[in-house]
Amino acid sequence: MTNGKLIDVRHARKRFNDFIAVDDLSFGVDGGEIVALLGRTGAGKSTVLNLLMGTIKADSGKITVAGHDPYSEFGALRGRIAVSFQTDRLLPWRSAIENAELGLLILGAGKTEARTRAQQWLERVKLAGAENKYVHELSGGMRQRVSLARALAVDPAILFLDESFSQLDHVTSRALRADFHRIAREFGKTCVLVTHRIDDALELADRALILTQGARIVHAEDITATARSDPSELKAIHDRIAAAMGDAEDVEQETTYEVS
Amino acid sequence: MRKATTEGQRDVLATTIVVLAMLAAMQIASAYVPDYIMPAPMSVLLATKDLLLSDKMHILVTLARLTGAVAFSMFVGIVIGGAMGTIGLIRPVLRAIIVIDTGIPALSWMLVAVFWFRDPEMRIFFILSVILLPFYALNVYEGIRALPRDLVEMVESFRPSRWQVLYYLVIPHILPYIFLTTKSVIGYAIRMAVFAELIASAIGIGSRMNLAQSTFRIDQVFAWTFLLVILNIALQAAVSAVEKVALKWRPEVKVR
Repeated sequence: MTNGKLIDVRHARKRFNDFIAVDDLSFGVDGGEIVALLGRTGAGKSTVLNLLMGTIKADSGKITVAGHDPYSEFGALRGRIAVSFQTDRLLPWRSAIENAELGLLILGAGKTEARTRAQQWLERVKLAGAENKYVHELSGGMRQRVSLARALAVDPAILFLDESFSQLDHVTSRALRADFHRIAREFGKTCVLVTHRIDDALELADRALILTQGARIVHAEDITATARSDPSELKAIHDRIAAAMGDAEDVEQETTYEVS
Repeated sequence: MRKATTEGQRDVLATTIVVLAMLAAMQIASAYVPDYIMPAPMSVLLATKDLLLSDKMHILVTLARLTGAVAFSMFVGIVIGGAMGTIGLIRPVLRAIIVIDTGIPALSWMLVAVFWFRDPEMRIFFILSVILLPFYALNVYEGIRALPRDLVEMVESFRPSRWQVLYYLVIPHILPYIFLTTKSVIGYAIRMAVFAELIASAIGIGSRMNLAQSTFRIDQVFAWTFLLVILNIALQAAVSAVEKVALKWRPEVKVR
């Protein structure tokens, strides 16, 4: 770890031909912190996530995740990070519980241990009773819950969430966010949440970093528990974030927040 | 469930009608032409019964040859198709070999096999394998190419080994392609096996059909043909039954 940060990004740059996807990005994430990377489509959020996951290499700068370079030390992060994707990405030939235990089996857990832990996580994401259902027998929300259970079951030091709630309808998304928030707090998970939805950040994150094109951080907002419990304060934060994202319509929109 | 039963019953009814119509046509034709051109259904039935009693061994030999060659082609085809799909360096070479193989007529392989191998079993095994193998290789390769990128990324996010990617992702994904290939080649494999036996062996259904032809036993030719159709249906049903169990996760989709 660098400077006590579990994730440390310094002057990272990434370009694809003439397109600058990430331009001099620096930020850090403490252990147990949930940080939201907020931005509109094309802001470079997914590129940042891929850099953090080590699936692409930064052109310059230094990226450290759990003390390792995620690209050059790809294998060193085995079992230390997990990802919950925008779509569930469940294997259709495996049942809910078989999908939930997939990461554990890949990481070398025994069959019995993997099954027990997968069962526990399915219960935590409120899917008890649906263990043996195949993917096509599950609703969209249930599938996303299995996906979340699969990521959490490996007990990662860092969890990346790539627009994990954005494909769901408002009610399902809200319920899943609430469950995720409870679990993340209970287990002290460090999370990087990539999203274009301000609601996601307000309900889940301790800190929101607003990115514009080139993944440039134009605004940072701390979202404390106190702020989260005060609807007017939350509305003010929402408006500042929306303004930073350049989303005028969102600023004008009447938004109400329920206090969790 | 009821809908599926109704459709199944409809299929059985349609098949029964077609078979009855063919039997009626045979019966009518046999009344107007000599026996050695068109035998009556009853004499074919009696010939079938006789063959089942006397030539069981030949049926089993053909079945064993078929099973062995299909199993071998499946295994080697999966390995070659898998290599084509995962090892970029050798893909063009393997593809070229497979494409050239598919262009060589079955008859050429049969004649070459007679020159190359003295053992009839080796001849038939070789003929069937070189004919069937490309189907598996190409379909497995296509299956790997059709792997959804997002599933690959998901599995890779856990940093698996190459074998784990194969075990958890690639093999289950290509399984439907293997079943589809098997069902597609069974009929063709039976025809090729019989043809190969006719040219290169003294035992098996093909050689017995050759004998029936040379002794003017057209009733036996029809009887063997009837048995081959039954064999094809039975093998298709067996593969479908295994497929149903192995792919139980796959929802049955009906297009209206």
